[in-house]
Amino acid sequence: MELTRRQILIGAGVASLPLLLAGCGFAPPATQAPAGGSTGSGGAATGTLTFTTWGTDAELAGFRSAIDRFQQANPGATVTLNAVPYAQMFTNIDAQLQAGNPPDVFRVPYYTFGSYAGRGQLLDLSSYLPSGFSDAFTPAAWAAVQNSSTPYGVPHHTDTSVILYNKAALDSAGITSVPTTLDDAWSWDEFQTVLQTLRGSLPADKYPYAANWQGNGVTRWLSWLFESDGKFLETDLVTPAIDSDAGRQAVDFTKNFFSSNFVPQNNSVKSTTLASDIWYSQTSAMVSAGAFLIPDATSTLDFEWGATFSPRNVRSAGDFGGNALVATKATANPELASAFLQFVTQEEEMSQFCASASLLPTRADLTASGIDFAVRPELSPVFVGQASSVQAKDSGQVTSPNMSKIITVLQDQLEQAFVGGQSTADTLAAMTSGISTATAGS
Amino acid sequence: MTAVAGGRRRRLARESLAGYAFLSPNLVLLGLFVIVPLISAVVISFQRTDGFGAGTFTGLDNYSRLATDPVFWQSTFNTALFTAIVTPASMLLGLGAAVLMNSVLPARGLFRSILILPMAISGVATALIGVLVFDQNNGVLDKLLKFVGLPPVEWQSGGAAAFASVVIVTLWWRVGFNMLIYLAGLQGISPELYEAARLDGAGGWQRFRFVTVPLVGPSSFFLLIMNVIYSFQVFDIVFVLTGGGPQNATSVLVTYAYNNGFVTRDQGYAAAIGVVLLVITLVFTAVQWRVSRTRDLVD
Repeated sequence: MELTRRQILIGAGVASLPLLLAGCGFAPPATQAPAGGSTGSGGAATGTLTFTTWGTDAELAGFRSAIDRFQQANPGATVTLNAVPYAQMFTNIDAQLQAGNPPDVFRVPYYTFGSYAGRGQLLDLSSYLPSGFSDAFTPAAWAAVQNSSTPYGVPHHTDTSVILYNKAALDSAGITSVPTTLDDAWSWDEFQTVLQTLRGSLPADKYPYAANWQGNGVTRWLSWLFESDGKFLETDLVTPAIDSDAGRQAVDFTKNFFSSNFVPQNNSVKSTTLASDIWYSQTSAMVSAGAFLIPDATSTLDFEWGATFSPRNVRSAGDFGGNALVATKATANPELASAFLQFVTQEEEMSQFCASASLLPTRADLTASGIDFAVRPELSPVFVGQASSVQAKDSGQVTSPNMSKIITVLQDQLEQAFVGGQSTADTLAAMTSGISTATAGS
Repeated sequence: MTAVAGGRRRRLARESLAGYAFLSPNLVLLGLFVIVPLISAVVISFQRTDGFGAGTFTGLDNYSRLATDPVFWQSTFNTALFTAIVTPASMLLGLGAAVLMNSVLPARGLFRSILILPMAISGVATALIGVLVFDQNNGVLDKLLKFVGLPPVEWQSGGAAAFASVVIVTLWWRVGFNMLIYLAGLQGISPELYEAARLDGAGGWQRFRFVTVPLVGPSSFFLLIMNVIYSFQVFDIVFVLTGGGPQNATSVLVTYAYNNGFVTRDQGYAAAIGVVLLVITLVFTAVQWRVSRTRDLVD
């Protein structure tokens, strides 16, 4: 049969339409349960899962290896990894959840976890996890995957900020030693003295320090609050608790970074310049940074640098960074999803993943024994030690279902305090009012 | 006669059918990806919803919240100011560049390409280049200012300077498009008109003012509408370059709607901001269309 050009064009158009429409989607939806797809009692898990995540090259390689091992251990189980850029991750996950075709499993930061768990989007794992499962994790980690005392995910890894320093910059200011244990970490007063000393020795366009509280990283500002033994929410996760002596100390101390020129003015919470970039370019002598930065810093920087603990006030503390893995409520194969979540948090799996991707474990046994990063292993004890200072009462607050709104409140008010001249009292009052509005109706 | 008339009718019907057949893919896509989301956004704007599950109908609550929200008004003011600066500036620069490129300027092909090049780059990439230029610690521009002995500008922490940086990057991105449209308009003007003007004693400025400017009227009308709509919809450059800061000095309606919709997850409120933006754009376009439609007939 001879085809006319019109017939070919029409045919091509019709054929391409499904592809075009499919292209508007994002990832394969949650799989349909295959007949018999489940974990038999004592048997291997079978069926298919979709797993959506973002990640660095090292993280994605770690996930691929873990998936391979899971599939080998469970013949008949298939996990499809869907790696996406972080910038698109949650707008698309939200769209998929709203459309009713989410992936079976996805990765989520702890501060975003509550937004999904508190709104009935995640699988309640209570009946799928063996008894005593929670004992494997540190209390802080297990608290970070709870919603109303029910687990909706597994704490896959954490990360916390320590201080990375440019050795030459500190040497030239006469600071030749830094704390080497968590107990010896600089007090706030000592840290202030270090900042002043550096300010005196550095030219005007260089700065002693840069804080990593930009964007959603504003939750890292909470470390200063926790170091003063403060809290921003009461245990009901509804009542604001930031207007306190600890809150005043934290706002005053961090505001002073800007008024004393300890940090560049574009280091505020809404800046688009990352603190790590400020430090990389040697504009600052020190920076607060997570362990995930180590591989990049090692390969990029041509100056000598080291790591020390974050300063302490009433106590040491840290941000509970990192990510949980969660299964969606819509998954057709909850047993398999649960089996996968349990598999990737086993001791050997977590150890391998964290060591290769420069991240910190959430298991109590690994936290006690420590891990060796593949890159700069001598820095591992600093990060693991700092992570041990995170308390469950700190990480538990960040799981508020309204955290996304609270983050906006923190960003708005800290920006006003740091570069807008807003007083500490007004800042705390506005935060209290904002948090109260954010949690209203919870 | 009847048979001829019937045949003509059938032919006309077939032509109409073919016309609709050609239109239908576009209409389907337009309906699916523009009209349906538009109606949904209007419906959502009357609800309180975080996007999960059914929203709660709250009537005009979201709109009354807008009236008392200082960040919304600041974003509206910033959007209007941005539009008021960028629209005439990009059109004037575009027309100036087009007149130069339409003349006997040496290497004009190269200059045309350089001016049009930003059009080929995405807004996000353009803004990332802007970040490198306007970084107030290590940016190219401040280093240049220091090199020539001028004080550095706080492009990121100063509100006015940050706003200026957004305007400058947008102009860099958009002038090429304006130039291209004007260039097409200029090439449609008969050289005899300039010759006649010259014979009548018109100087260079008079030829530009009284021949060129009126005769590129249709291009100006088109660009005015497009620039205003683009300006009201500005998002990527602001989002990447300043994030709306410092202290909301560069927050515009779309970045504010995005923050509410996808960061705070207050999707009903975000939809209300979107609807306000739609109404403003529609009103402006309708006014311009009524006021300027005769200019479309020039030439």
